[in-house]
Amino acid sequence: MADGELVALVGPNGAGKTTLLRMLATLHRPQTGRLTVFGHELPSRVDQVRAKIGYLGHDPLVYLDLTPWQNLRLFADLYGVDWNRSAIEDLLDRVGLLPRAYDVVRTFSRGMVQRLGVARMLLHDPQLLLLDEPYAGLDAPGATLLDAVIAEGRTAVIVTHDVNWAAHHATRMMVLRGGRVVDTLVVADATDPDAIVSRYRELVA
Amino acid sequence: MTDPPVESVRVGRGAALWSVAAAVCMAISVAGSYWIAPEDVEGPIQRLVFLHVPIAVVSLIAFGVACVAGLMYLRTRSQRWDDIVVVSCGLGLLFTVLAMITGSIWAKAFWGTWWSWQDARLVTYLIIGLIYAAFFVLRSSSDSGAQARFSAVFAVVAFASIPLSFWAVRTAESAIHPVALDRNGLQMDGPTALWFVIGHVAMTVVFIALLKVELLQRQMERRLSSIRLALEESAQ
Amino acid sequence: MSRSLRQIRALVRKDLWLEMRTRDTVVAMGLFVVIAMVILQFGFGTRETDLTRFAGGLLWVPITFAAVLGVGRSYVAEREQRVLDGLLVAPTSRFAMLIARAISITGYLLVVELVAIPLLGVFFVRGPYWGSVGWIALAALLADVAIGVLGTLVASMAVFTRARELVMPVIFLPLLLPVVVAAAGATHAVVGGHDMTSYTRYCVFLVGFSVLFALVAFATYEAVFDD
Repeated sequence: MADGELVALVGPNGAGKTTLLRMLATLHRPQTGRLTVFGHELPSRVDQVRAKIGYLGHDPLVYLDLTPWQNLRLFADLYGVDWNRSAIEDLLDRVGLLPRAYDVVRTFSRGMVQRLGVARMLLHDPQLLLLDEPYAGLDAPGATLLDAVIAEGRTAVIVTHDVNWAAHHATRMMVLRGGRVVDTLVVADATDPDAIVSRYRELVA
Repeated sequence: MTDPPVESVRVGRGAALWSVAAAVCMAISVAGSYWIAPEDVEGPIQRLVFLHVPIAVVSLIAFGVACVAGLMYLRTRSQRWDDIVVVSCGLGLLFTVLAMITGSIWAKAFWGTWWSWQDARLVTYLIIGLIYAAFFVLRSSSDSGAQARFSAVFAVVAFASIPLSFWAVRTAESAIHPVALDRNGLQMDGPTALWFVIGHVAMTVVFIALLKVELLQRQMERRLSSIRLALEESAQ
Repeated sequence: MSRSLRQIRALVRKDLWLEMRTRDTVVAMGLFVVIAMVILQFGFGTRETDLTRFAGGLLWVPITFAAVLGVGRSYVAEREQRVLDGLLVAPTSRFAMLIARAISITGYLLVVELVAIPLLGVFFVRGPYWGSVGWIALAALLADVAIGVLGTLVASMAVFTRARELVMPVIFLPLLLPVVVAAAGATHAVVGGHDMTSYTRYCVFLVGFSVLFALVAFATYEAVFDD
């Protein structure tokens, strides 16, 4: 993968998209084959890899019984990020949670919690974003926010079932089926996203 | 996918040879310690030590093997080591129970009671037995993804707690257990000591044979189920 | 190392924040100890008014079971609120996770003993007691560290099994037996007697226990969390 690429992992249910993403996020160990992230073949130098990854899955991965401020402070310490109150408050402002920074997360709506998840993901300014259906739990402001984050041009791997979205936004589409990559479609140069979508349908048919 | 049958025969041969060796060694050991070793002043019941002590020692060897296999599993993540962890813990538990039963018989004969909380070794074996029984509780209720990892960690934790259990119980109780092997060396005459050592060797060979057979069984079961799966797939 | 220290501090503070918000571990443990002591009174105290001779058991049976409750709460927030992956994708040292958890459990137990040790004197001991409270507390602190280290290692596996409420005590208690032997022994040594030789021996054992299991934890901790 080159810097600034947005790779979409697409394929039918059970194709292994999420599993591959979790392996990239160092949550699973590959049973066979090799996986190299940032030049380190996993699981060696795993902490250096982890420090550069921002992961957002189905769950926002924040404590519901803490406040947003407490959550971000905890993760700042875990990532070893230099932090101060205003930096964290800026980040919370960016995800639109500053007014609720000191309220318990449990009282938030699903969309707000997921936005806090986005803040947690961005806290350590990761070089690589690993996103698993990130739009699923997001509300409208959250989706706009995530669009902006992706448009910043960070390298990202995104698992999605939305082939149309992938054909319009990604630079490459990896089609998975039955735990294997069956094809990689280069989207960036293509002029016609619909052709990509129909090619995908042929592949999984 | 399936290995040629020739290899299976070769794998089976190791287990078979160890089994034959175990039978021969046990026969020699039992015969020697019951007919050839000189009679102790305590009478024939004293001959139980030729069985009881080797059983107890081999149970510790089995737990040690499980601990090493657990560490090896954590390094290599190879199924083979996980098999050794499970089989060794199982055999160790079996030998622990046998050691408690034979020890209990011995206690009845010498102290007039089946059980003594004053004997540090008996109490320690009870604790060890409980710990390794817990191993199987943990293993059977772990998810398949974590099962081998947890088993390996527990095998290491449990082995570390054996000397600690003994240390704690020993500190708490004055031992009335007769000491056969103390700082002055073996408190036995030559022929008795010889059969005592042979008993240990025989019991160790029995352990290895059982280990080999059970490992082979697990290996074969796995191969069988993979063949069955392949057959079912090709039938579809 | 300083990075690990920062992580440990952050994780312990997180446990403290959660406990202050929900109050569902320490309060339950403290209440449990009081109830257990009342049960022991009806089990033994109706035959004798002075239970000084059984002080070790009366203190450590309740604390042992309370420890099972507290240790069993480990990673419950992470599991129920589904945040464990958040800790694991971060470069969190797995060893820091174990140490932080052990510190939290030790802290919970100290709070519980703040109730249990005075209650032992009030309920059961009819004789000189308060002079030896310092010695009991010292032995209790050493035992708490041992329980914390061992408990974390075991709980980190047990809470991710099926039927964990059952698995937890069954695998934890046998491993804990040596600690109970030593903690009760140390208590007996200083309540209704003053046998400093065996007291010291028990305390040395408790330290040795903690050190050995800290080493075991260090050798195996990665496999507890990482696939």
